[in-house]
Order: sequence, then C-alpha cells, then structure tokens
Amino acid sequence: MRRRAVSTTGEPPVRMYHVSKSYIAGQYALHDVSLEVRRGEFVFLTGSSGAGKTTLLELVFAAEQPSEGQILVLGRNVARLGAGAIPALRRRVGVVFQDFKLLQDRTVEENVRLALDVVGTPRRDARSRVFQLLKSVGLQHRRFHHPLSLSGGEQQRVALARALVNEPEILLADEPTGNLDPDLTIEIMDLIVSASTRGTTVIVATHDHGLIERYGKRVLRLEGGQIAEDNPAVGASLGAEP
Amino acid sequence: MNRVWMLITIAFGNALRGIRRASTTSLLAVLTIAVVLVLVGSAALLVDNMSGILDEFGAELRLTAYLEADLDEAGQRDLVERVGAAPGVDSVALVTKQAALERFERIAGGAELLVGLEENPLPASLEILLLPEARSGEAIAVLEESLTGLPGIEELAHGQEWIEGYARAVSLARGVATGIGVVLGLAALLIVANTIRLAVYARRDELDILALVGASRTFVRVPFLLEGILQGLLGGAIALLIVWGAYELLLPQVRFGFSLVLGRADLRFFTMGESIRLVVSGAGLGLLGSFAALVGIRSEG
Repeated sequence: MRRRAVSTTGEPPVRMYHVSKSYIAGQYALHDVSLEVRRGEFVFLTGSSGAGKTTLLELVFAAEQPSEGQILVLGRNVARLGAGAIPALRRRVGVVFQDFKLLQDRTVEENVRLALDVVGTPRRDARSRVFQLLKSVGLQHRRFHHPLSLSGGEQQRVALARALVNEPEILLADEPTGNLDPDLTIEIMDLIVSASTRGTTVIVATHDHGLIERYGKRVLRLEGGQIAEDNPAVGASLGAEP
Repeated sequence: MNRVWMLITIAFGNALRGIRRASTTSLLAVLTIAVVLVLVGSAALLVDNMSGILDEFGAELRLTAYLEADLDEAGQRDLVERVGAAPGVDSVALVTKQAALERFERIAGGAELLVGLEENPLPASLEILLLPEARSGEAIAVLEESLTGLPGIEELAHGQEWIEGYARAVSLARGVATGIGVVLGLAALLIVANTIRLAVYARRDELDILALVGASRTFVRVPFLLEGILQGLLGGAIALLIVWGAYELLLPQVRFGFSLVLGRADLRFFTMGESIRLVVSGAGLGLLGSFAALVGIRSEG
C-alpha cells in the first residue's frame, strides 16, 4: 500500500475566513462565509440551486479565487496560490461531478490512470493501483471498456475511482448522484462514505434531503451565498458506516 | 523507466491520440503547411536556380586594363602581382601583344585587316576577374580607382551597364524571394495557429479534466506542441514530394524557358540538406502555430 502524503500539522484541511465570491460587482455567489472542516470529517453541503454550493467547492479546489477573505486548503492559501502551484494542490484533492467528466475516447482504465499519469507514476505501478481501485468499486471486469458503454452508475464509479486513485486528502463531490436512480445513489454514496472512514475529508454538495437524513453527517446549509445552518453529525446512520 | 521518459512517452501518446481524435482538423493543418511550403519551396527553388545562373554570368564579369606600350616584361609581371593583390580581385591573366594579335586573328578569321601595318597595334592587357562580393557598381568603382594610379596601366575598360544590370537582377530576385517567403510564412503561421486553436477548443473537455486531476501546464501543453511538430513534419514531407514531382515534370519546359531567356539552363533540385531544411521548417511552422494557438488558453481550470 502506498504511503499517503498527509500533512502532519493536525490543522483542519479546509478553513475559510470571511470568504466572499462575486462574479458581478455587488452580487455575491458567496458572502462572508467562515467554516472549518476537520480531517476525516464528512460534510453535506446543501441548499437550493444558486445557494453557492458549487462556488464553495470550486474555491476549495482552486478553480476560483475568493473576491474577499482567506481560504486555507491543506495549509495552502488559495487566495495567494499562483497558477503554477494549483496542479500540486489538486493532486491532493479528488473531485467528482454530476456529469462524471470522463474522456469518452479512453478506456475505463485509462480514465482512472490519468490522475497517476500526471504525476509520472511508473506504468506498472499505475496499472496495479488502477486495478485495485476498480476492484474496490466493482468495475475491474470493465476496465477495457469505454465510458459510453457503461451505465450512469458505472460511469460515476469510474469517476470516483479516478478521484481516489491518488489517495487524496480531500474528496469533493458536486451532486455526485444527481443523474442516478435511488439504488445507484446509495451504491455511490456508500463508496464515498467508505473513503471518509479511511481518513479522507469529504465534502458532498447535494440537495437530496433523503440522502442527508440517511447518513446523519454534518450538514452545512447555504442560503443566498451564506451559511444558514451548520448541523453537526448525529451519529445515527443507516448507510455503510463502519 | 524513469519519470521523465514516462512523461515523454505519455506526451507522445497523447499527441498521437489528439491527431487521431481530431483527424479532420489535423489533416487541415497538415495540408495548410504543405500548401504554404510548396509555394515557399517552389519560389526558393526558382530563385536559387536564377541566382545560380546569374552567378555563372557574374563569374565572367571582368575588367580589362590596357598596358602602356613601353612596359617591359618584368614590369608586366610586377603589375600582374600588384593587381592580383588588390581587394575584390579573383584572378589576373596577362594577355601579351602577341596573344592579343592571335586572339584578334582567331575572331576576325585572319590577319587581312592588319595587313600594311608595320607593327602589331594591339596593346598588352590584364584581364581581371572579380570575386562574387566585388561584382557591384560601387565595388568596381573602388577597384578602378585603386588601379588607375598604378604605373604601367594606360586605360581601364569594363561593361559598367552589364555589371549594374547583373547586380540589380540578383538583388531583385533575392528581395522578391525574401518578400514572398516572409508573407507566406506569416500567412501560414496565422492559418496553422487558427487551425490548431480550433483543435484545442474541440478538446476543451480533455483540458478541463486534465486540469482537474492536477496536470501541470507543461503536461497539458506539450502534447499539443508535439502535435504541431508532427503535423508540420508531415506537411513538410508532402510539400517536398510535390515540389520534387513538379520539378521532374516541368523540368524540360523550364529548362527550355531558361535557355531561351538566359542562353543557358544548368538547373538543380534541392540538395539533401536543403530538402531536410524544408521539412524541418514545416515542423517549425507547426510548433510556432501550436504555440500561438495555446497563448491565452487557460489550462489550470
């Protein structure tokens, strides 16, 4: 098993201090948001469409920079991160989207291996690592297939395998089950929850209240770009808790 | 396999995949480069051959220095050495009075014209051949000035108009070729850059996903630059084949045209080195085009 590049400072991997993000002057997608997410914590981010869920996730993986305030992700200040330093941060943050974002002209194995290729992992090590990951999401027998020949649930499992193959310290998921039926939703969520039980900090944006109730994790509810509620985990779980 | 070699392999794989994936756009880029290089290559070949022919004419440019009648043999030999050392002089040949007479008889078909004269009226002379860099009106004027002061030389003669016409023709041909090359090169660069930019936009999803998994700017861009180089090499090779085919096909007519106008036609195709340069310039064009296409495209998400 590879050794995970976990920072040893013990600081929360995600910290936001009075963060605002504005795309149009005077209109905030996020406004004065402060929060901390502890190592290994699982957080549901919820709220209606346009509440700022996606913007918050984009700020965490440095796709956007804050208009005001400070964001510390794995000890790096996103507001001051140069373009050259962003890839290094992203290699420590896995991301999953509702629309999977898979390359259709590459096989399942190649899609997952992409995250290892960019860090120059030797091909043999990469293949073995990809096989392990695909096995853990139950898709090892589909590794030479192309995404279009897979179901939506299978494609999302491939995207999840890609996000996890580098053993990220943070996993972000933006409506990961938005395109899936209820059975597949539980299947994917169980895989994400099991990643968090191995120490990965997980933030899942969703507006699926059933899902939130089912897993009983910490819930941050956004409204108009601000945190309206921050409910701690209740500990009661019907899902795949350890 | 070390990490760098692995990344190079991946970059080449991605470049080839990119060409396969956007085969129509890639073909367009290859053909654009080929068309431009056919035009540039043909122009270069034409000018090079014209230049070669003009250079041959230039080698025959000469100054004639007529010597004073009372200059003895030792004085003539001394003058040959002094003139030979002057700047811009390639070689000097002494034509004695006797040699001049023999030449006259050969040209005139006999010595009837000189019958009745008591002695050979033709002067001894020096025939001065010029170095290529001295085959201009200005250079000849300078040389003329330095020779005029030499004792023993009575008169200098040359075909000034022919010399200046020659120099003008060479500089015009080179200027036109350079102009055509620069204009076509810039046009090609723009077309190739836009073609490759289209290919880049067609693959935005791939760029986004690579950025998402933490690919560095170099990792994202190098395959596109390699694609440009590969397309350029292919375009250059196609252009070379077309120019060679056209040369072989049109050689008889071109040779006839040249000999009609210039009286000679020693034509040649590109040397191996020049051929390689044409193909490599295709690669350069592709690389520059890709580079220009990637300017301003964000790859860090």
